[in-house]
Amino acid sequence: MSADAIIVTGLYNTQEETLAAVKKIQEKGFEVTEVHSPIPSDALARALGRKKSRIGWFTLTGGIIGFFSGFALAVFTSTRWDLIVSGKPIISWIPFFVIAFEFTILFAVLGNVLGIVTQVGLPDPDYEKNYDPECSGSMYGIEVASTPEDADSLRDLLDHTGSIKKQRENL
Amino acid sequence: MSQLTFQTINTTVLDTLTRPGKAYWCMIALLFCGAVMGASCWAYQIIVGVGVAGMNTPVHWGTYLINFVFWVGIAHSGTLISAILFLFRAQWRNPIARAAETMTVFAVCIAGLFPFIHLGRAWLVFYMLPLPNQRTLWPNFQSPLMFDVIAISTYLTVSSLFWYTGLLPDLAIIRDRSRGMRKKIFKVLSLGWSGKTGQWINYSRAYLLFAGLATPLVISVHSVVSWDFALSVIPGWHTTIFAPYFVAGAIHSGLAMVLTLCIPLRKILKYEALITMNVLESIAKTIVFTGIIVAFSYATEVFIAWYSHNSIEMETFWWRAFGHYAPEYWIMVVCNTVIPLLYLSKKIRTHVIPLFIISIFVNIGMWFERFVIIAGSVAHDFLPNAWGHYRPTWVEGGIMVGAFSLFFFLFLLFVKHLPSVSMTEMKEMIHHKVE
Repeated sequence: MSADAIIVTGLYNTQEETLAAVKKIQEKGFEVTEVHSPIPSDALARALGRKKSRIGWFTLTGGIIGFFSGFALAVFTSTRWDLIVSGKPIISWIPFFVIAFEFTILFAVLGNVLGIVTQVGLPDPDYEKNYDPECSGSMYGIEVASTPEDADSLRDLLDHTGSIKKQRENL
Repeated sequence: MSQLTFQTINTTVLDTLTRPGKAYWCMIALLFCGAVMGASCWAYQIIVGVGVAGMNTPVHWGTYLINFVFWVGIAHSGTLISAILFLFRAQWRNPIARAAETMTVFAVCIAGLFPFIHLGRAWLVFYMLPLPNQRTLWPNFQSPLMFDVIAISTYLTVSSLFWYTGLLPDLAIIRDRSRGMRKKIFKVLSLGWSGKTGQWINYSRAYLLFAGLATPLVISVHSVVSWDFALSVIPGWHTTIFAPYFVAGAIHSGLAMVLTLCIPLRKILKYEALITMNVLESIAKTIVFTGIIVAFSYATEVFIAWYSHNSIEMETFWWRAFGHYAPEYWIMVVCNTVIPLLYLSKKIRTHVIPLFIISIFVNIGMWFERFVIIAGSVAHDFLPNAWGHYRPTWVEGGIMVGAFSLFFFLFLLFVKHLPSVSMTEMKEMIHHKVE
């Protein structure tokens, strides 16, 4: 997308209309920069060529760190006061596994949250740019980039694909 | 359900967030007074000492821990509905998932209060935390009580984050339809969610992972709670069936509480089109299933006591059924195993009044189950000269009423300020149905 490109957003009623419009817009050589939708859609993600989420790696890393941290905490605290109680060994693997398990889940979830923050891009203070509030309700919004010279033909194309409303255009 | 559209879902849910009437505020005030009364009883106990509670030799675990186990149990079905049924793609969960998740968060908060209250000197709670100190004294992680501290705090953290993550797209819907201060608040809460394709890809994966992690967690948490008892040598407690028995009981009580909350919610907030009779019926059928597991657990306990030929175990279970706490025991048996069978009748499980009444009975039965297990076992253990009875005092009663008031107070606040049905999940559901 060049520096002088403008963004035009078209709004659609259904996912099927949106998918068809995305295909047509791409065929005409315009760049679909983003689609806003009220529900998740695998078909739209595929049409836009979006990659698979990498959040699972954050979760996995968190889980591994959690497991070893939990175990290490239990071992460390026991060895600080190494008095045998009720004949139980100082480092008791089975009870410590419970602590390690809970820490695994806790840290995996914290990793998951870190993944949301970094991968989903939240918090996003500039969310209003090119965003139509209708898209959180029932409509789908397609953001298309264009040069100022092609803007009129893009508007015509959006009308032709069934866009019911053209939202404000942003530089 | 077939007439539902994205627009009608939004309208139905957003209509519940309009300015509440006088009746709502009266109810809020009443429940707030109940919560303050409970807090006052706790303050009285702190000033005078834990002796104002009825706990004494041999029963040192009374209503505080009974309520702790009860509320942890209530919390469980929220995660069952939001996480486990999500993984199984059970679509009937969608309309009630948000209410159940919220119930989980509040119930864990209430449950977490009771160990503080039980401690007596609540300000020494930091002894349970692994904090460096001059005496090099650390918590003993071989103790199931320490498992519990870790498990409950993990559960509270995970269920709160799961709940908030699920709320994000709905918070954006409210933000986009609000003005003034409300818009500002929801702008902050929704974190700038705008439903971009990239956001949805990562969000859906994160939600799935949340559900996948919450599922083993929920099973582990009530297993850990059961080990508070099962890892001791008290007759009636020292049994390997406790973990699955507690998990099944927790889901049983939690589902009943979901019905208790959702039936009035559905009527008052006019959710009939979203929370359909089919949803309530599905919960009722699940209660029959969990009730049968609970009945099997009760029978197994008695059978093992007889089969073991252990005179102490046999005496404990004989005393449970025919001793001092026999009324509590039979309330437990009837309310948890016999009454839920009424849901086998389609006529009963498709009418809200019997559905609601039976759910109350199950709640009562499950509270008494914890009473029978906790107080009943230590009241009558090995030595006859150490036997004794436990009776809760007005302080314990006041704190218990306060806890229930606080729970319903928080839930009532929630239903008028945040979407109590997940609009996004409902839209996904009808979208997939159309497909």
